[in-house]
Amino acid sequence: MLENLLEINNLSHAFIKANGEEIRIFQNLNFHVGQAEIVAIVGRSGAGKSTLFNLISGLLAPSAGKISLGARPDGRPGSIAYMLQKDLLLPWRTILENAVLGIELQRTVTDADRTRALAMLARYGLESVANAYPHSLSGGMKQRVALTRTLLSDPTVVLLDEPFSALDYETRLMLENDVISLTRTDRTSVILVTHDIDEAIAMSNRVVVLGGRPAKITREEHIALSVEGDRDAVTARGAPEFPVYHKEIWNALRASDVAHAGV
Amino acid sequence: MKKNNGATMIVTTILVTLIILWQMAAQANVINGQLLGSPLGIYHSAVIGFTKGQLLYDTWVTLVETLLGLVLGSGLGIVLGLMLWFYPRTSDIVEQFSILLNSIPKIALGPLIIIWFGSGMTSKIWLAGISTFAVAMISACAAAQEVDKDLLNLFKSFKAPRAMVFKKLIVPASVPWIFSIFRINIGFALIGAVVGEFIASESGLGHAVFVAGSLFDLNSVWLGVIILTLMAAVLTWVVQLIEERVVSWKVAQ
Repeated sequence: MLENLLEINNLSHAFIKANGEEIRIFQNLNFHVGQAEIVAIVGRSGAGKSTLFNLISGLLAPSAGKISLGARPDGRPGSIAYMLQKDLLLPWRTILENAVLGIELQRTVTDADRTRALAMLARYGLESVANAYPHSLSGGMKQRVALTRTLLSDPTVVLLDEPFSALDYETRLMLENDVISLTRTDRTSVILVTHDIDEAIAMSNRVVVLGGRPAKITREEHIALSVEGDRDAVTARGAPEFPVYHKEIWNALRASDVAHAGV
Repeated sequence: MKKNNGATMIVTTILVTLIILWQMAAQANVINGQLLGSPLGIYHSAVIGFTKGQLLYDTWVTLVETLLGLVLGSGLGIVLGLMLWFYPRTSDIVEQFSILLNSIPKIALGPLIIIWFGSGMTSKIWLAGISTFAVAMISACAAAQEVDKDLLNLFKSFKAPRAMVFKKLIVPASVPWIFSIFRINIGFALIGAVVGEFIASESGLGHAVFVAGSLFDLNSVWLGVIILTLMAAVLTWVVQLIEERVVSWKVAQ
């Protein structure tokens, strides 16, 4: 039994360019995520964040190394769900049909599934549009449907690739809270890729800075914020430690930039 | 459609004016009514053709040939083109073949097809079908390959089997393309059917136009052309109506 929900051991991956040159993205990367933990990965563009997600979700097979996914408490195998910046809703399906897509691709959708989907849509204030088509929804609403679709497939690990970067600030804070509360209620683990250091600190238990080529973890920061009660996206940003973490991570990012430029 | 009302008014006005001018010119012998026909002459031909002649039957024959050719040719092309999605390597080869097939002037195959299938409706349906097949297959193949890569990845991340990806993603995403294939192919199918009738037939609008032409009955030639135009317009309108029903999710986009 794995101690963590997701473990990455000695992961190496390389692309072969058209001219035969080998580009090493990762070399012997080690990384883990615990249960109900939110880990944010920050790094400059091209650091390999999206490739890492494609490897974890199985869209790409690694050149070497091992990615192991822990089981559920009841012993069934765990599963990974992936959410991108684009909502990727199918325009010919209603909101409810979009929400249950992940289930539908595995097995027949039951009435119980639909009831659960409606309950989750209701939680995000979307019950009134369950039978509408995606074009009539705002960007934030669509992204919430995408989140619903991701969660309805019962993942143990959720991968979020810049999921909120196209949204306005207010909607963004709401969705950040949705994700934070998810780890509390469902004990789901989350890996979040973001450009936004604020978002990384506000949401996560741990921030990992990825830099260099091949990419390695150049810094790891455990986030402990003193807030009253449970932390949320707004109170986190007001915590006294927040600017300290911000400075640390910013410096780490800049340092990896310089290292990268020197290669 | 509301915003088009102004344009429709202008087009109608111009057409009506031209028809009136044409009729006046023919009556005043400014133009040769024998060689150019006249609106009133066309009207008389229509009355005679529809009441005493076999114009209604000719229209029916051409309509059936066109529709069957369109549905069979485009339908088969669309199904094959979409199915090629399962075989990406084969699709390159097949696509080159269909581009080759598409460069053949299908009409030139007319005499061949009439020898093979006779001078009845079957040969016209074949000609109409062949005229639409390659275009349909190439477009459907392209449609299947145009599907958003991120959507494909989404389906993959849900571990969807390929048959499921085809059914739930490739086919529905291609529906708007399929309708535009049908709309474009109405014209091609009509040409196939009419030219087939020109070459050898006993009935159909192409046959009627051809016979009238060799008898210098220009009014009946015009009449045939007008009915063919109306037929294409009505078919396009019907396809559009079906599309609006089926692709209702797209309307507000």
